[in-house]
Amino acid sequence: MSEPVGEDQAPRSTFMLIFRGGAVSRPDLSPSELQAHVEKWYRWSEELAGRGRRNAGTTLDAPGATVRGRDLVTDGPYAESKDLVTGSMIFEAASLEDAIEVARGCPTYEFGGSVEVRPVQDYRI
Amino acid sequence: MNDEPEALPSAELVEDLFRREYAHLVSALVRVLGPSNVPLAEDVVHDALVSAMQAWRFGLPRDPKAWIIRAAHNRAIDIVRREQRHRSFLPELATTTALTDTIEAALAPEAEAAGQMAMMFAVCDPGLSRETHVTLVLRWLCGLSPKEIGQAFLVDTQTIDRRLHRGRGHLHALGRLPDVDDLPDLDVRRGSVLRSLYLLFNEGYHGSNPQDPVRPFLCDDALRLTELMLDARATAHPDVHALAALFCFGAARLPTRMDAQGVFVPLEDQDRRRWDRAGIERGLIHLGHAATGDRMSRWHLEAGIACEHAIAPSLQETDWDRIVGFYQLLAEQSPNPVVALNRALALAERDGVAEGRRELIALAHEPKLSRYPFYWAARADLERRGGRHERAREHYRHAISLARSTAERAAFERRIEGLKIS
Repeated sequence: MSEPVGEDQAPRSTFMLIFRGGAVSRPDLSPSELQAHVEKWYRWSEELAGRGRRNAGTTLDAPGATVRGRDLVTDGPYAESKDLVTGSMIFEAASLEDAIEVARGCPTYEFGGSVEVRPVQDYRI
Repeated sequence: MNDEPEALPSAELVEDLFRREYAHLVSALVRVLGPSNVPLAEDVVHDALVSAMQAWRFGLPRDPKAWIIRAAHNRAIDIVRREQRHRSFLPELATTTALTDTIEAALAPEAEAAGQMAMMFAVCDPGLSRETHVTLVLRWLCGLSPKEIGQAFLVDTQTIDRRLHRGRGHLHALGRLPDVDDLPDLDVRRGSVLRSLYLLFNEGYHGSNPQDPVRPFLCDDALRLTELMLDARATAHPDVHALAALFCFGAARLPTRMDAQGVFVPLEDQDRRRWDRAGIERGLIHLGHAATGDRMSRWHLEAGIACEHAIAPSLQETDWDRIVGFYQLLAEQSPNPVVALNRALALAERDGVAEGRRELIALAHEPKLSRYPFYWAARADLERRGGRHERAREHYRHAISLARSTAERAAFERRIEGLKIS
Protein backbone atom coordinates (compact mmCIF):
# COMPACT_ATOMS: atom_id res chain seq x y z
CA MET A 1 0.00 0.00 0.00
CA SER A 2 3.01 2.21 -0.01
CA GLU A 3 2.74 3.26 -3.62
CA PRO A 4 -0.22 5.45 -4.33
CA VAL A 5 -1.93 4.70 -7.63
CA GLY A 6 -4.52 6.57 -9.70
CA GLU A 7 -7.42 7.81 -7.64
CA ASP A 8 -9.95 5.38 -9.01
CA GLN A 9 -8.13 2.17 -8.21
CA ALA A 10 -6.54 3.47 -4.99
CA PRO A 11 -6.83 0.63 -2.50
CA ARG A 12 -8.87 1.74 0.48
CA SER A 13 -8.42 0.48 3.97
CA THR A 14 -10.41 1.06 7.07
CA PHE A 15 -8.94 3.07 9.92
CA MET A 16 -10.07 3.90 13.37
CA LEU A 17 -9.32 7.12 15.20
CA ILE A 18 -9.43 6.84 18.97
CA PHE A 19 -9.87 10.16 20.76
CA ARG A 20 -8.38 10.69 24.20
CA GLY A 21 -8.71 13.58 26.65
CA GLY A 22 -9.13 17.06 25.21
CA ALA A 23 -11.77 19.58 26.20
CA VAL A 24 -13.45 17.11 28.55
CA SER A 25 -10.40 17.12 30.79
CA ARG A 26 -10.53 20.91 31.13
CA PRO A 27 -12.99 21.91 33.86
CA ASP A 28 -12.34 25.62 33.38
CA LEU A 29 -13.80 26.06 29.90
CA SER A 30 -16.55 28.66 29.60
CA PRO A 31 -19.88 28.08 27.83
CA SER A 32 -18.64 30.12 24.83
CA GLU A 33 -15.43 28.13 24.63
CA LEU A 34 -17.34 24.84 24.76
CA GLN A 35 -19.67 25.99 21.99
CA ALA A 36 -16.83 27.26 19.79
CA HIS A 37 -15.04 23.95 20.29
CA VAL A 38 -17.94 21.70 19.38
CA GLU A 39 -18.60 23.86 16.32
CA LYS A 40 -15.05 23.12 15.17
CA TRP A 41 -15.64 19.40 15.67
CA TYR A 42 -18.81 19.04 13.70
CA ARG A 43 -17.51 21.28 10.94
CA TRP A 44 -14.46 19.07 10.77
CA SER A 45 -16.47 15.84 10.65
CA GLU A 46 -18.93 17.34 8.14
CA GLU A 47 -16.07 18.51 5.99
CA LEU A 48 -14.65 14.96 5.99
CA ALA A 49 -18.07 13.60 5.09
CA GLY A 50 -18.23 16.12 2.23
CA ARG A 51 -14.97 14.67 0.89
CA GLY A 52 -16.47 11.20 0.81
CA ARG A 53 -15.24 10.27 4.25
CA ARG A 54 -18.57 9.93 5.90
CA ASN A 55 -17.56 8.49 9.22
CA ALA A 56 -19.28 6.51 11.87
CA GLY A 57 -18.29 8.64 14.82
CA THR A 58 -19.13 7.51 18.32
CA THR A 59 -19.13 9.42 21.53
CA LEU A 60 -18.54 7.84 24.90
CA ASP A 61 -20.14 9.18 28.03
CA ALA A 62 -18.39 8.96 31.40
CA PRO A 63 -18.04 7.18 33.77
CA GLY A 64 -19.65 3.80 32.96
CA ALA A 65 -18.03 0.68 34.42
CA THR A 66 -15.02 -1.55 33.93
CA VAL A 67 -15.47 -5.31 33.90
CA ARG A 68 -12.54 -7.58 34.63
CA GLY A 69 -14.06 -11.01 34.64
CA ARG A 70 -17.49 -12.19 35.67
CA ASP A 71 -17.36 -10.99 39.27
CA LEU A 72 -15.11 -8.03 38.96
CA VAL A 73 -16.96 -4.88 37.94
CA THR A 74 -15.80 -1.45 39.02
CA ASP A 75 -17.14 2.03 38.46
CA GLY A 76 -15.78 4.11 35.68
CA PRO A 77 -12.68 3.86 33.71
CA TYR A 78 -10.86 6.29 35.98
CA ALA A 79 -7.87 6.80 33.80
CA GLU A 80 -6.04 10.11 33.97
CA SER A 81 -8.56 12.38 32.29
CA LYS A 82 -6.07 13.25 29.58
CA ASP A 83 -5.87 9.53 28.71
CA LEU A 84 -9.59 8.87 28.95
CA VAL A 85 -11.04 7.50 25.72
CA THR A 86 -13.85 9.88 24.76
CA GLY A 87 -14.89 8.50 21.39
CA SER A 88 -13.84 6.98 18.14
CA MET A 89 -14.36 7.30 14.43
CA ILE A 90 -14.12 4.80 11.59
CA PHE A 91 -13.42 5.81 8.01
CA GLU A 92 -11.72 4.72 4.82
CA ALA A 93 -8.33 6.00 3.79
CA ALA A 94 -5.76 5.15 1.16
CA SER A 95 -2.92 4.58 3.60
CA LEU A 96 -1.79 5.11 7.14
CA GLU A 97 -0.21 8.40 6.04
CA ASP A 98 -3.52 9.45 4.58
CA ALA A 99 -5.32 8.52 7.80
CA ILE A 100 -2.75 10.44 9.86
CA GLU A 101 -3.37 13.45 7.65
CA VAL A 102 -7.06 13.24 8.54
CA ALA A 103 -6.22 12.98 12.25
CA ARG A 104 -4.01 16.07 11.97
CA GLY A 105 -7.08 18.19 11.22
CA CYS A 106 -8.89 17.12 14.39
CA PRO A 107 -9.81 20.04 16.70
CA THR A 108 -9.02 18.09 19.88
CA TYR A 109 -5.44 19.39 20.13
CA GLU A 110 -6.77 22.84 21.04
CA PHE A 111 -7.32 21.53 24.57
CA GLY A 112 -4.54 18.95 24.81
CA GLY A 113 -6.36 15.92 23.41
CA SER A 114 -4.66 13.15 21.44
CA VAL A 115 -5.73 10.89 18.60
CA GLU A 116 -4.60 7.34 18.07
CA VAL A 117 -4.72 6.15 14.44
CA ARG A 118 -5.15 2.36 13.96
CA PRO A 119 -5.79 0.28 10.88
CA VAL A 120 -8.83 -1.99 11.21
CA GLN A 121 -8.31 -5.57 10.05
CA ASP A 122 -10.51 -6.57 7.18
CA TYR A 123 -11.77 -10.15 7.38
CA ARG A 124 -14.03 -9.91 4.36
CA ILE A 125 -11.34 -11.15 1.99
CA MET B 1 -18.94 30.91 5.14
CA ASN B 2 -18.22 27.96 2.88
CA ASP B 3 -18.10 27.55 -0.87
CA GLU B 4 -20.31 24.51 -1.15
CA PRO B 5 -23.32 24.99 1.09
CA GLU B 6 -25.15 22.07 -0.54
CA ALA B 7 -22.45 19.66 0.62
CA LEU B 8 -23.00 20.64 4.24
CA PRO B 9 -26.08 20.41 6.42
CA SER B 10 -27.89 23.65 7.03
CA ALA B 11 -27.89 23.02 10.78
CA GLU B 12 -25.83 25.55 12.71
CA LEU B 13 -25.95 26.30 16.38
CA VAL B 14 -27.72 29.45 17.43
CA GLU B 15 -25.09 32.04 18.26
CA ASP B 16 -24.39 32.12 21.98
CA LEU B 17 -26.65 29.13 22.63
CA PHE B 18 -24.34 27.70 25.33
CA ARG B 19 -24.00 31.05 27.08
CA ARG B 20 -27.73 31.70 26.94
CA GLU B 21 -28.58 28.23 28.21
CA TYR B 22 -26.03 28.57 30.98
CA ALA B 23 -27.85 31.72 32.11
CA HIS B 24 -31.28 30.18 31.69
CA LEU B 25 -30.49 26.93 33.50
CA VAL B 26 -28.40 28.33 36.36
CA SER B 27 -31.21 30.78 37.18
CA ALA B 28 -33.88 28.10 36.87
CA LEU B 29 -31.96 25.64 39.04
CA VAL B 30 -31.07 28.18 41.72
CA ARG B 31 -34.75 29.03 41.88
CA VAL B 32 -35.62 25.40 42.55
CA LEU B 33 -32.56 24.16 44.47
CA GLY B 34 -32.41 27.26 46.63
CA PRO B 35 -29.89 30.12 46.57
CA SER B 36 -27.52 28.30 48.94
CA ASN B 37 -26.90 25.80 46.14
CA VAL B 38 -25.51 28.13 43.47
CA PRO B 39 -22.28 26.10 43.11
CA LEU B 40 -24.32 22.92 42.65
CA ALA B 41 -26.46 24.56 39.97
CA GLU B 42 -23.32 25.83 38.24
CA ASP B 43 -21.84 22.31 38.24
CA VAL B 44 -25.00 20.74 36.88
CA VAL B 45 -25.17 23.19 33.98
CA HIS B 46 -21.46 22.97 33.26
CA ASP B 47 -21.73 19.17 33.11
CA ALA B 48 -24.72 19.41 30.77
CA LEU B 49 -22.79 21.70 28.42
CA VAL B 50 -19.72 19.47 28.51
CA SER B 51 -21.83 16.44 27.62
CA ALA B 52 -23.39 18.40 24.74
CA MET B 53 -19.91 19.34 23.57
CA GLN B 54 -18.98 15.64 23.64
CA ALA B 55 -22.13 14.29 22.08
CA TRP B 56 -22.41 16.77 19.20
CA ARG B 57 -18.92 16.34 17.76
CA PHE B 58 -20.19 14.29 14.82
CA GLY B 59 -23.45 16.16 14.24
CA LEU B 60 -26.08 18.27 15.95
CA PRO B 61 -29.31 17.00 17.49
CA ARG B 62 -32.57 18.21 15.96
CA ASP B 63 -33.33 20.53 18.89
CA PRO B 64 -30.06 21.51 20.60
CA LYS B 65 -31.71 23.68 23.24
CA ALA B 66 -34.08 20.89 24.29
CA TRP B 67 -31.12 18.48 24.37
CA ILE B 68 -29.19 20.69 26.81
CA ILE B 69 -32.26 21.18 29.00
CA ARG B 70 -32.84 17.41 29.11
CA ALA B 71 -29.19 16.80 30.04
CA ALA B 72 -29.36 19.38 32.85
CA HIS B 73 -32.65 17.88 34.03
CA ASN B 74 -31.20 14.38 34.31
CA ARG B 75 -28.01 15.57 35.92
CA ALA B 76 -29.90 17.72 38.44
CA ILE B 77 -32.05 14.75 39.50
CA ASP B 78 -28.98 12.52 39.89
CA ILE B 79 -27.16 15.07 41.99
CA VAL B 80 -30.11 15.96 44.21
CA ARG B 81 -30.66 12.26 44.95
CA ARG B 82 -27.01 11.80 45.76
CA GLU B 83 -26.73 14.94 47.90
CA GLN B 84 -30.08 14.67 49.65
CA ARG B 85 -28.53 13.47 52.88
CA HIS B 86 -25.83 16.12 53.08
CA ARG B 87 -27.60 19.25 52.01
CA SER B 88 -30.79 21.10 52.72
CA PHE B 89 -33.03 21.34 49.71
CA LEU B 90 -36.43 22.91 49.47
CA PRO B 91 -39.19 20.55 50.75
CA GLU B 92 -40.66 19.96 47.27
CA LEU B 93 -37.54 18.01 46.34
CA ALA B 94 -37.95 15.42 49.09
CA THR B 95 -39.66 12.57 47.23
CA THR B 96 -38.67 11.04 43.93
CA THR B 97 -41.84 11.88 41.98
CA ALA B 98 -42.01 15.37 43.46
CA LEU B 99 -38.36 15.86 42.58
CA THR B 100 -38.82 14.90 38.93
CA ASP B 101 -41.95 17.01 38.57
CA THR B 102 -40.42 20.03 40.28
CA ILE B 103 -37.23 19.98 38.18
CA GLU B 104 -39.32 19.44 35.05
CA ALA B 105 -41.48 22.47 35.85
CA ALA B 106 -38.49 24.62 36.78
CA LEU B 107 -36.77 23.94 33.46
CA ALA B 108 -39.91 24.30 31.33
CA PRO B 109 -39.80 27.07 28.71
CA GLU B 110 -42.67 28.94 30.41
CA ALA B 111 -40.52 29.45 33.52
CA GLU B 112 -37.45 30.75 31.69
CA ALA B 113 -38.17 34.48 31.87
CA ALA B 114 -39.39 34.41 35.48
CA GLY B 115 -36.27 32.52 36.57
CA GLN B 116 -33.87 34.96 34.94
CA MET B 117 -35.78 37.94 36.31
CA ALA B 118 -35.73 36.50 39.83
CA MET B 119 -31.98 35.95 39.52
CA MET B 120 -31.30 39.41 38.10
CA PHE B 121 -33.24 41.20 40.84
CA ALA B 122 -31.70 39.00 43.54
CA VAL B 123 -28.12 39.78 42.48
CA CYS B 124 -28.74 43.53 42.09
CA ASP B 125 -29.09 43.76 45.84
CA PRO B 126 -28.73 47.38 47.03
CA GLY B 127 -26.30 46.08 49.67
CA LEU B 128 -23.77 45.11 46.99
CA SER B 129 -21.58 47.44 44.95
CA ARG B 130 -22.26 48.31 41.32
CA GLU B 131 -19.17 46.42 40.21
CA THR B 132 -20.45 43.35 42.00
CA HIS B 133 -23.88 43.71 40.38
CA VAL B 134 -22.38 43.80 36.91
CA THR B 135 -20.04 40.91 37.69
CA LEU B 136 -22.91 38.74 38.91
CA VAL B 137 -25.08 39.66 35.92
CA LEU B 138 -22.24 38.75 33.56
CA ARG B 139 -21.70 35.45 35.34
CA TRP B 140 -25.23 34.21 35.92
CA LEU B 141 -27.30 36.06 33.31
CA CYS B 142 -24.82 36.25 30.44
CA GLY B 143 -22.90 33.01 31.10
CA LEU B 144 -19.38 34.48 31.05
CA SER B 145 -16.62 32.71 32.98
CA PRO B 146 -14.69 34.57 35.70
CA LYS B 147 -11.75 34.76 33.30
CA GLU B 148 -13.89 36.28 30.55
CA ILE B 149 -15.38 38.82 32.97
CA GLY B 150 -11.88 39.75 34.12
CA GLN B 151 -10.82 40.28 30.51
CA ALA B 152 -13.86 42.43 29.81
CA PHE B 153 -13.12 44.77 32.72
CA LEU B 154 -9.33 44.52 32.81
CA VAL B 155 -9.56 43.16 36.33
CA ASP B 156 -7.71 40.08 37.52
CA THR B 157 -9.63 36.84 37.97
CA GLN B 158 -9.11 36.84 41.76
CA THR B 159 -10.99 40.13 42.05
CA ILE B 160 -13.82 38.66 39.99
CA ASP B 161 -13.82 35.53 42.15
CA ARG B 162 -14.03 37.70 45.27
CA ARG B 163 -17.07 39.51 43.88
CA LEU B 164 -18.71 36.22 42.93
CA HIS B 165 -18.02 34.92 46.40
CA ARG B 166 -19.65 37.99 47.94
CA GLY B 167 -22.62 37.54 45.61
CA ARG B 168 -23.01 33.89 46.57
CA GLY B 169 -22.90 34.87 50.23
CA HIS B 170 -25.72 37.37 49.74
CA LEU B 171 -27.84 34.86 47.87
CA HIS B 172 -27.15 32.22 50.50
CA ALA B 173 -28.73 34.45 53.11
CA LEU B 174 -31.95 34.69 51.11
CA GLY B 175 -33.15 31.14 51.76
CA ARG B 176 -35.26 31.26 48.63
CA LEU B 177 -34.96 33.23 45.41
CA PRO B 178 -37.97 35.57 45.57
CA ASP B 179 -40.13 36.10 42.52
CA VAL B 180 -40.01 39.67 41.28
CA ASP B 181 -43.65 40.27 42.27
CA ASP B 182 -42.84 39.43 45.89
CA LEU B 183 -39.95 41.87 46.33
CA PRO B 184 -40.77 44.60 48.87
CA ASP B 185 -38.03 46.89 47.50
CA LEU B 186 -38.77 46.20 43.85
CA ASP B 187 -38.47 49.83 42.73
CA VAL B 188 -35.11 50.40 44.41
CA ARG B 189 -33.81 47.22 42.88
CA ARG B 190 -35.14 48.21 39.48
CA GLY B 191 -32.81 51.22 39.65
CA SER B 192 -29.83 48.95 40.41
CA VAL B 193 -30.77 46.54 37.64
CA LEU B 194 -31.10 49.33 35.06
CA ARG B 195 -27.76 50.79 36.06
CA SER B 196 -26.05 47.38 35.76
CA LEU B 197 -27.58 46.81 32.34
CA TYR B 198 -26.40 50.27 31.28
CA LEU B 199 -22.83 49.40 32.36
CA LEU B 200 -23.14 46.07 30.57
CA PHE B 201 -24.21 47.80 27.36
CA ASN B 202 -21.38 50.35 27.63
CA GLU B 203 -18.88 47.57 28.10
CA GLY B 204 -20.01 46.21 24.75
CA TYR B 205 -20.28 49.60 23.07
CA HIS B 206 -17.02 51.06 24.19
CA GLY B 207 -15.34 48.60 26.47
CA SER B 208 -12.09 48.70 28.33
CA ASN B 209 -10.52 45.73 26.55
CA PRO B 210 -7.61 47.20 24.56
CA GLN B 211 -7.69 44.52 21.84
CA ASP B 212 -11.40 44.28 21.48
CA PRO B 213 -13.20 47.46 22.60
CA VAL B 214 -16.46 46.79 20.73
CA ARG B 215 -18.28 43.59 21.65
CA PRO B 216 -21.82 43.61 20.26
CA PHE B 217 -22.84 40.46 22.16
CA LEU B 218 -22.76 42.39 25.44
CA CYS B 219 -25.02 45.04 23.89
CA ASP B 220 -27.38 42.28 22.69
CA ASP B 221 -27.50 40.77 26.17
CA ALA B 222 -28.20 44.13 27.82
CA LEU B 223 -31.12 44.67 25.45
CA ARG B 224 -32.38 41.09 25.87
CA LEU B 225 -32.42 41.42 29.68
CA THR B 226 -34.07 44.85 29.51
CA GLU B 227 -36.80 43.49 27.28
CA LEU B 228 -37.35 40.63 29.75
CA MET B 229 -38.27 43.29 32.29
CA LEU B 230 -40.78 44.73 29.85
CA ASP B 231 -42.53 41.37 29.53
CA ALA B 232 -43.39 41.33 33.25
CA ARG B 233 -46.08 43.63 34.53
CA ALA B 234 -44.30 44.39 37.81
CA THR B 235 -41.21 45.74 36.09
CA ALA B 236 -42.52 47.18 32.80
CA HIS B 237 -42.05 50.82 33.78
CA PRO B 238 -41.48 53.80 31.47
CA ASP B 239 -37.83 54.13 32.54
CA VAL B 240 -37.23 50.52 31.42
CA HIS B 241 -38.64 51.41 28.01
CA ALA B 242 -36.37 54.46 27.96
CA LEU B 243 -33.31 52.32 28.62
CA ALA B 244 -34.41 49.82 25.95
CA ALA B 245 -34.77 52.73 23.50
CA LEU B 246 -31.29 53.98 24.36
CA PHE B 247 -29.87 50.49 23.71
CA CYS B 248 -31.74 50.13 20.41
CA PHE B 249 -30.41 53.46 19.10
CA GLY B 250 -26.87 52.65 20.25
CA ALA B 251 -26.90 49.10 18.87
CA ALA B 252 -28.24 50.37 15.52
CA ARG B 253 -25.06 52.41 15.10
CA LEU B 254 -22.68 49.57 16.04
CA PRO B 255 -21.95 48.51 12.43
CA THR B 256 -20.23 51.83 11.70
CA ARG B 257 -18.39 52.46 14.95
CA MET B 258 -15.21 50.84 13.64
CA ASP B 259 -13.80 50.56 10.15
CA ALA B 260 -12.34 47.45 8.52
CA GLN B 261 -8.94 48.22 10.09
CA GLY B 262 -10.46 48.27 13.58
CA VAL B 263 -10.16 52.04 14.01
CA PHE B 264 -12.92 54.09 15.66
CA VAL B 265 -14.80 56.21 13.13
CA PRO B 266 -15.99 59.64 14.33
CA LEU B 267 -19.74 60.29 14.13
CA GLU B 268 -19.35 62.79 11.28
CA ASP B 269 -17.58 60.20 9.09
CA GLN B 270 -19.94 57.30 9.81
CA ASP B 271 -21.95 56.00 6.85
CA ARG B 272 -25.48 56.52 8.15
CA ARG B 273 -26.95 54.31 5.42
CA ARG B 274 -25.40 51.37 7.25
CA TRP B 275 -27.20 52.08 10.51
CA ASP B 276 -29.76 49.43 11.34
CA ARG B 277 -33.13 50.96 10.40
CA ALA B 278 -35.15 48.20 12.05
CA GLY B 279 -33.25 48.77 15.30
CA ILE B 280 -33.97 52.50 15.15
CA GLU B 281 -37.68 51.79 14.56
CA ARG B 282 -37.67 49.48 17.56
CA GLY B 283 -36.04 52.25 19.60
CA LEU B 284 -38.72 54.73 18.54
CA ILE B 285 -41.45 52.33 19.69
CA HIS B 286 -39.77 51.97 23.10
CA LEU B 287 -39.37 55.73 23.30
CA GLY B 288 -43.10 56.11 22.63
CA HIS B 289 -43.88 53.78 25.55
CA ALA B 290 -41.32 55.58 27.73
CA ALA B 291 -43.23 58.84 27.33
CA THR B 292 -46.21 57.58 29.36
CA GLY B 293 -44.86 58.33 32.83
CA ASP B 294 -44.58 61.59 34.73
CA ARG B 295 -40.92 61.17 35.59
CA MET B 296 -38.06 62.16 33.32
CA SER B 297 -35.32 59.70 34.28
CA ARG B 298 -31.70 59.84 33.27
CA TRP B 299 -32.49 57.06 30.78
CA HIS B 300 -35.20 59.18 29.16
CA LEU B 301 -32.73 62.01 28.59
CA GLU B 302 -29.99 59.75 27.26
CA ALA B 303 -32.48 57.98 25.00
CA GLY B 304 -33.70 61.37 23.73
CA ILE B 305 -30.13 62.34 22.78
CA ALA B 306 -29.43 58.96 21.14
CA CYS B 307 -32.71 59.25 19.23
CA GLU B 308 -31.82 62.67 17.79
CA HIS B 309 -28.52 61.27 16.51
CA ALA B 310 -30.13 58.11 15.13
CA ILE B 311 -32.85 59.88 13.14
CA ALA B 312 -30.76 62.81 11.82
CA PRO B 313 -29.87 62.55 8.12
CA SER B 314 -26.43 64.08 8.74
CA LEU B 315 -24.35 65.73 11.42
CA GLN B 316 -25.30 69.21 10.15
CA GLU B 317 -29.01 68.39 10.01
CA THR B 318 -29.07 67.13 13.60
CA ASP B 319 -31.38 68.94 16.01
CA TRP B 320 -28.56 70.27 18.19
CA ASP B 321 -30.90 72.56 20.07
CA ARG B 322 -32.83 69.60 21.45
CA ILE B 323 -29.60 67.76 22.21
CA VAL B 324 -28.19 70.73 24.14
CA GLY B 325 -31.48 70.88 26.04
CA PHE B 326 -31.29 67.20 27.01
CA TYR B 327 -27.67 67.56 28.14
CA GLN B 328 -28.65 70.61 30.16
CA LEU B 329 -31.35 68.63 32.01
CA LEU B 330 -28.99 65.70 32.44
CA ALA B 331 -26.31 67.96 33.92
CA GLU B 332 -28.85 69.36 36.39
CA GLN B 333 -30.15 65.93 37.34
CA SER B 334 -26.82 64.15 37.74
CA PRO B 335 -23.82 66.46 37.35
CA ASN B 336 -21.01 64.54 35.72
CA PRO B 337 -17.93 65.78 33.81
CA VAL B 338 -18.54 63.52 30.81
CA VAL B 339 -22.04 64.97 30.43
CA ALA B 340 -20.50 68.46 30.59
CA LEU B 341 -18.01 67.46 27.89
CA ASN B 342 -20.77 66.23 25.60
CA ARG B 343 -22.85 69.31 26.29
CA ALA B 344 -19.91 71.51 25.24
CA LEU B 345 -19.57 69.56 21.98
CA ALA B 346 -23.28 69.94 21.27
CA LEU B 347 -22.94 73.69 21.96
CA ALA B 348 -20.11 73.86 19.43
CA GLU B 349 -22.49 72.45 16.81
CA ARG B 350 -25.38 74.72 17.78
CA ASP B 351 -23.63 78.00 18.60
CA GLY B 352 -20.29 77.66 16.87
CA VAL B 353 -16.80 76.36 17.53
CA ALA B 354 -15.74 79.34 19.67
CA GLU B 355 -18.61 78.76 22.09
CA GLY B 356 -17.87 75.05 22.45
CA ARG B 357 -14.17 75.71 22.84
CA ARG B 358 -14.77 78.15 25.67
CA GLU B 359 -16.90 75.57 27.51
CA LEU B 360 -14.31 72.83 27.00
CA ILE B 361 -11.44 74.95 28.30
CA ALA B 362 -13.50 75.73 31.38
CA LEU B 363 -13.63 71.98 32.11
CA ALA B 364 -9.84 71.53 32.03
CA HIS B 365 -9.62 71.44 35.83
CA GLU B 366 -11.90 68.38 36.10
CA PRO B 367 -9.57 65.59 37.27
CA LYS B 368 -11.65 62.89 35.58
CA LEU B 369 -11.52 64.68 32.21
CA SER B 370 -7.82 65.50 32.35
CA ARG B 371 -7.15 61.73 32.10
CA TYR B 372 -9.94 61.07 29.60
CA PRO B 373 -8.58 60.72 26.04
CA PHE B 374 -11.82 61.90 24.45
CA TYR B 375 -11.65 65.19 26.33
CA TRP B 376 -8.32 65.97 24.67
CA ALA B 377 -9.53 64.68 21.33
CA ALA B 378 -12.57 66.98 21.64
CA ARG B 379 -10.31 69.94 22.43
CA ALA B 380 -8.17 69.00 19.44
CA ASP B 381 -11.17 68.68 17.12
CA LEU B 382 -12.36 72.19 17.94
CA GLU B 383 -8.86 73.66 17.56
CA ARG B 384 -8.61 71.94 14.18
CA ARG B 385 -11.96 73.30 13.10
CA GLY B 386 -10.89 76.76 14.29
CA GLY B 387 -7.83 76.50 12.03
CA ARG B 388 -5.25 76.18 14.85
CA HIS B 389 -3.62 72.98 13.64
CA GLU B 390 -0.43 73.15 15.73
CA ARG B 391 -2.50 73.37 18.89
CA ALA B 392 -4.75 70.58 17.60
CA ARG B 393 -1.78 68.27 17.08
CA GLU B 394 -0.59 68.90 20.63
CA HIS B 395 -3.99 67.87 22.02
CA TYR B 396 -4.29 64.82 19.77
CA ARG B 397 -0.89 63.71 21.01
CA HIS B 398 -2.09 64.10 24.55
CA ALA B 399 -5.16 62.02 23.67
CA ILE B 400 -2.92 59.33 22.14
CA SER B 401 -0.86 59.16 25.32
CA LEU B 402 -4.05 58.47 27.30
CA ALA B 403 -5.70 56.14 24.76
CA ARG B 404 -6.90 52.82 26.16
CA SER B 405 -7.02 50.78 22.98
CA THR B 406 -5.37 50.55 19.58
CA ALA B 407 -8.71 51.48 18.03
CA GLU B 408 -8.71 54.79 19.94
CA ARG B 409 -5.06 55.51 19.33
CA ALA B 410 -5.31 54.88 15.60
CA ALA B 411 -8.36 57.13 15.34
CA PHE B 412 -6.41 60.04 16.90
CA GLU B 413 -3.33 59.33 14.78
CA ARG B 414 -5.47 59.46 11.68
CA ARG B 415 -6.67 62.92 12.75
CA ILE B 416 -3.08 64.14 13.07
CA GLU B 417 -2.33 62.88 9.55
CA GLY B 418 -5.17 65.04 8.25
CA LEU B 419 -3.79 68.24 9.81
CA LYS B 420 -2.16 70.88 7.65
CA ILE B 421 1.10 71.68 9.36
CA SER B 422 3.96 73.12 7.36
